Order: sequence, then C-alpha cells, then structure tokens
Amino acid sequence: MNDRDDNDGRPEGSERPAEPERPQSADGRKAPGHTPAQPPARTPAQSPGEAPAPERRSPSLRSELPAEVRGARPRPAATDGPEPGGPGTAGQVADGERELTGRQRLVKGLWPPRVSRAQLIVAVLLFVLGLGLAIQVRSHSDNSALRGARQEDLVRILDELDSRTQRLEDEKQGLEHQRTELENSSDQADEARKQTAEKERQLGILAGTEVAQGPGITMTVTDPKGAVQADMLLDAIQELRAAGAEAIQVNGVRVVVNTYLTDADGGKGVSVDGHHLSQPYRFKVIGKPQDLEPALNIPGGVVQTLEKEQATVTVTRSEKVVVDALRAAHQPDYAQSSSQ
Amino acid sequence: MIAVLGLVVGIVVGLFVRPEVPAVVEPYLPIAVVAALDAVFGGLRAMLDGIFDDKVFVVSFLSNVVVAALIVFLGDKLGVGAQLSTGVVVVLGIRIFSNAAAIRRHVFRA
Repeated sequence: MNDRDDNDGRPEGSERPAEPERPQSADGRKAPGHTPAQPPARTPAQSPGEAPAPERRSPSLRSELPAEVRGARPRPAATDGPEPGGPGTAGQVADGERELTGRQRLVKGLWPPRVSRAQLIVAVLLFVLGLGLAIQVRSHSDNSALRGARQEDLVRILDELDSRTQRLEDEKQGLEHQRTELENSSDQADEARKQTAEKERQLGILAGTEVAQGPGITMTVTDPKGAVQADMLLDAIQELRAAGAEAIQVNGVRVVVNTYLTDADGGKGVSVDGHHLSQPYRFKVIGKPQDLEPALNIPGGVVQTLEKEQATVTVTRSEKVVVDALRAAHQPDYAQSSSQ
Repeated sequence: MIAVLGLVVGIVVGLFVRPEVPAVVEPYLPIAVVAALDAVFGGLRAMLDGIFDDKVFVVSFLSNVVVAALIVFLGDKLGVGAQLSTGVVVVLGIRIFSNAAAIRRHVFRA
C-alpha cells in the first residue's frame, strides 16, 4: 500500500509525524523556517497551492493518522489559540487549519461557496469523474447480460449461437429444397393435367365424344331406287379413311372405330350402328379436302361404283365442316391399358 | 461546494445526455473511475487534514487515472487483463478504505 504517496492530493502523505514533531510539521507546511508567532501575518498572502510544497519533501514526518488527529487538537489551543478569529473569517482553509478540526474544515469548505482556482479545478475533475461514473453505471446496466459476462462464457455463448445458426441454416436449406420440389411438382402436375386434357380432346375426336370441326368435304348420296347397300357405304368410309379422314358422320351418326353397317331389313336402305339411315345419305368428313375428293372420284372408285347403281353422288369441298354427332364414351369391360 | 456541484452535474449529465464512449476507451473506463475515486477520497482526506493542495490533487487525479488505464492496457496485452484489473481494484479499494477511515475519524471523531 502506498497511500502515503502524494498522488492522493495530500502532499505530505497520510501518515503524520509523531506527536513531538507535530509543531514542526505544521510550521513547515506553512512556510519553511518561520516561527510560531508569524503565521497570522503571513497567511493572507499564502495561496493554497504553494503552502504544502515544502512539507512534501519531509517524508520522515509521517506517522499514523490518529496520532495526528490527536496531536492536532491540542495544538490549536496551545500555540495558535489567539488566532482563530481573524484567519477563520478570512475564508481560507489554510488559515484556520491549526484551529479547526476536520469537521469544521469540511463545513467551512462546503458552505460559503467560494469561487477559487482550487475549487474550479476540483469541480472540473469531479465533473469528469461523475460523468465517467454515470456512463459506466448506465452502460453496465444497459445490457448487463453480456457486458458482465466472462470471456469463457462469452465464447461459450458465441459457440452456441454459431451452432444454432448452423442448425437453422440447415433447416432453412431443407425447407427451401422442399419448397422447390413442391413448386416443381405442382408445375409438373399442371403440365400433365394440360397434356391430359389435350389428349382427351384428341382421343375424344377419334372416339366420337367431342364435336370436331375443320376443313373437309361433304358427300351426299341420293339413291332413289334404294340400290345402295351397306358394303358400298362401307367402301366409301374405308376410302375416306384411307385418304386421311379424321372424323366422319353419316346422317347424324358418328362413325367410329367400332361402327358397323348393315343392310336394313327388307333390303331397302342401310343401318349404321343399328340406326336406320334415311335417304339421302349425307357424309360429313373432316380431313384434307384435296386428298379426300380425288380419293372418291378416282376411276373405278366410290363415286363411279355408286353411280353405276343409279345413285347420285355430290361431293363438295368445304373450309369448315362441323362433325357434331356425338357418341357416349364407352368404358371397356375387359380390355385395359397395359401401361398402367 | 463548487466541487460537489461539479460532481453532481457530472453525474446528471452522464445519466441524461448519454454520451457515447469511444470503443477504445471503454475497457479502461471502470478502472479509471475507481482510480479517480481513490484520488477524490485522498483529496477529501487532505482537505480535512487541512493540507489540501489543488495542484497535487490534479496531478494525483490524472496520474491515477492514467496509471490505472495503463496497467489494464498492459494486462490486456499480456493476456492477464482480468487479473491485473482485479489487482488494481483491490489496491485502490484498500486505499479508498483507509482514506475513508481517516475521513471518518475527522468527521465523527471515531
């Protein structure tokens, strides 16, 4: 412990000389080499700053403080007794030093507020101290959880946070991956649904469950004598199919894959899929007209064969033929797709 | 009196203005405050002893703060910052206690 240094503001140190030396120390502090009778005349000119200087150089004068206090008290009565009045009112701490106890000096320093260099300097320093104190207290209480923590704790907390961040990052990646998958799959499902619908339409045209329209031809067979038989119409249908017809209907009956034609009862007329067709036979065919018409008109073809039976055949091309005869979708009982 | 006012004003300003402490100074602030407290107690005791000297007080105040900060800085550089801080606080604490005892004898005569 070195609280006897001069750095605590007490130039001569905390420990005062022993009682016998006390008078000497007091004198030395006031002014070196003066006699006890001089202090009253000298003190007014003395400034607080210069007074203690000489005594600082007398380390041998140190002793325990209680001794000093005890020594200080009798001393004013003994030697400086006559002085208390004058110097005391002068208002300087150094003046009344010998007469006053510490408590009196404290009160004296506190109450009549004096503006002196010492007071101002000390005030500035104490202001700085108070500032630092308040800042420190406030900053310490602000986020005390981490600020007060030891280094090992901080390292541990940091590690925990790191691992936690890592875990959350992993989880986030997993979730993002999942989300991407779901988005892709829903996209794929949409696409598949679209394709399915498209395919259903195409197949519906083939199966006769959908109305079809497009370029094609219309063929009307008028058979006043009733000589036209089912095989002739079947030839016509097969010729049309061979020429690329995609949808055919005859007098409101859709011609599909399992369509059959029979001669009507009594040899007059033709039945298609059990529906008796009345004259004239009107074919609506969707396909490429440039292919369909020549296919019918080729020599020895359908048209010539029919005309040989005294039937009248009219074939007209059309940019828009509507095949609107429908057929109920038929669910096969035994046949199943092998791809499923 | 003015000195006490300075202390009060400092605390109030510190509490309400909330100035930002530079990060470089931050680790040394607590130890500097304790060192300054030690100087203040020493100065108070000197005043009660009647030997107060403002020049000595200023020098002791500043040197206390600087030396305390220096020790902490050195301790940080040597890797024993926490231990040295503790040591400084203990030493200053003992000084403050002894000064406080002297002040107490002055004020209460006990």
